Amino acid sequence: MAMRAWLASEDWWAVWLGLLLALLAMPAAAGFDLLGWAVTTSVWLDPTRALAPLRGNLPGVVSLGLTYLFLLAIVGLGAYAQGLNLRRFFPAFTIVFAVSYLCWFVGNFAYIAQTPDKWSSMGIDWSLGLTPEAGYIVALLAGLVIGNGFPALAGWLREAARPEWYIKTAIILLGAALGVRAAERTGLMTTVMLRGLAAIIEAYLIYWALVYFIARKYFRFSREWAAPLASGISICGVSAAIATGEAIRARPIVPIMVSSLVVVFSVVELIALPFAAQFFLWTEPLVAAAWMGLAVKTDGAAIASGAIAQSLVQARAREAGIAYADGWMLNTTTTVKIFIDVFIGIWALVLSAIWVYKIDRRPGEKVPVAAILQRFPKFVLGYFLLFLMLLSVALIWPASREPLRSATAETELFRGIFFVLTFFSIGLSANFKRLWAEGIGRLALVYLLSLFGFIIWIGLAISWIFFHGVYPG
Amino acid sequence: MQTDPEDRYLAREMSVIPYEPLLPIEKKLIVWSLILGLVLLGVLWWVTQVFFSPEVMAR
Repeated sequence: MAMRAWLASEDWWAVWLGLLLALLAMPAAAGFDLLGWAVTTSVWLDPTRALAPLRGNLPGVVSLGLTYLFLLAIVGLGAYAQGLNLRRFFPAFTIVFAVSYLCWFVGNFAYIAQTPDKWSSMGIDWSLGLTPEAGYIVALLAGLVIGNGFPALAGWLREAARPEWYIKTAIILLGAALGVRAAERTGLMTTVMLRGLAAIIEAYLIYWALVYFIARKYFRFSREWAAPLASGISICGVSAAIATGEAIRARPIVPIMVSSLVVVFSVVELIALPFAAQFFLWTEPLVAAAWMGLAVKTDGAAIASGAIAQSLVQARAREAGIAYADGWMLNTTTTVKIFIDVFIGIWALVLSAIWVYKIDRRPGEKVPVAAILQRFPKFVLGYFLLFLMLLSVALIWPASREPLRSATAETELFRGIFFVLTFFSIGLSANFKRLWAEGIGRLALVYLLSLFGFIIWIGLAISWIFFHGVYPG
Repeated sequence: MQTDPEDRYLAREMSVIPYEPLLPIEKKLIVWSLILGLVLLGVLWWVTQVFFSPEVMAR
């Protein structure tokens, strides 16, 4: 049974894919380049020169084709093991990959992406300056258009539109690069982790209690609805709502309905908050990054927000002549989000104990510890495994850092691809029409009031308190 | 107008949510959560400032 879960769950398959890619990338540190053929996209004016392999002389289009076939094979293997319908998955993944990569390509157009410090070197005198990460926004918008404008097509693509799977794989890959980067700045990494931990303890205790109180007192939700709603709005969206629903023995419909709202609102946050961070917080990059982790729900949307906020804030800072070290904002968002995921289980146990012993008081019922522990996010294990392994190697043998950087360039390349797949899939999954469904109004209203009324602002305050003055510089 | 069976089910569910007054244990959960949150806010802020200040950590 346990073995089957190892092979059949999306969470575990994120671990396998992440570790497989890291395993294939690592020989590059010793000069054996196994993934150098994978495609990269540069900021372009001439589209024929945009695509190229990471290393070597393959034509860009061939490199793109190989990358697609490779991903199709490994993701298809995971889909098969999870019992997905491969006859639907393969064509759907092909379209998802093609549209996602096209969006990434479009987002790299110089007039969209190029930052002001490089305009002259490209021979242009204006650009939106959104950085290459504009491709993520383009992918999100494309997903939203298809998801809400072409529901039949979106339904067909949904077999391969799996934002949580893709983002978890990307997070695990991020662990590899972060391990190498952290070896050079152990002090900064320690402070990010400790402050991230402190921030999420605060967020849990303050957010959850407030949302639960409002939902119960003013919106008159029953306990069965209010607890998953409070977890979904205040903690980490879908997984928190499900874990809480399980902890208090709510009917399955409750976390499902909460989750459908979480996805919609997280897209709104994903579009708005990174730009707000660029405008107001470009001098406090780690405050901005932690804010994305605390305020934006669902792993996918939060990490995606961190990636966009990082590129926007760095671009704004470069205009002012400030260069923040690359990657630390995304690291901070990811750290905060991962701690949130880890604590979901602890919070679910607390709620479960209160419900079993104090509220429901059903004779003979016990806290469902095993069921809650099964919900522990396995991808966190993969992330920490890669992070600690590479950190250890880089600390013990400092001379290995440069070769390891070369190897993690390959994991980072695939992380970028999984990111863009995530953005497109999030857009596809966000069904805004649900907001107009009869009965959802009350749920949506408490969500809207809580999220924009205080969660975003308390998240900002907590981020400021713990990350103000910490610079990745 | 509404055709989705899931939506119809949700509408029905929403209309029959029973009113359940806040129990004392729920009030305790809310209040103690907030008190603990505020106390820890001070403690954790002090710990990070004293032992993990940006100056110390910016190495």
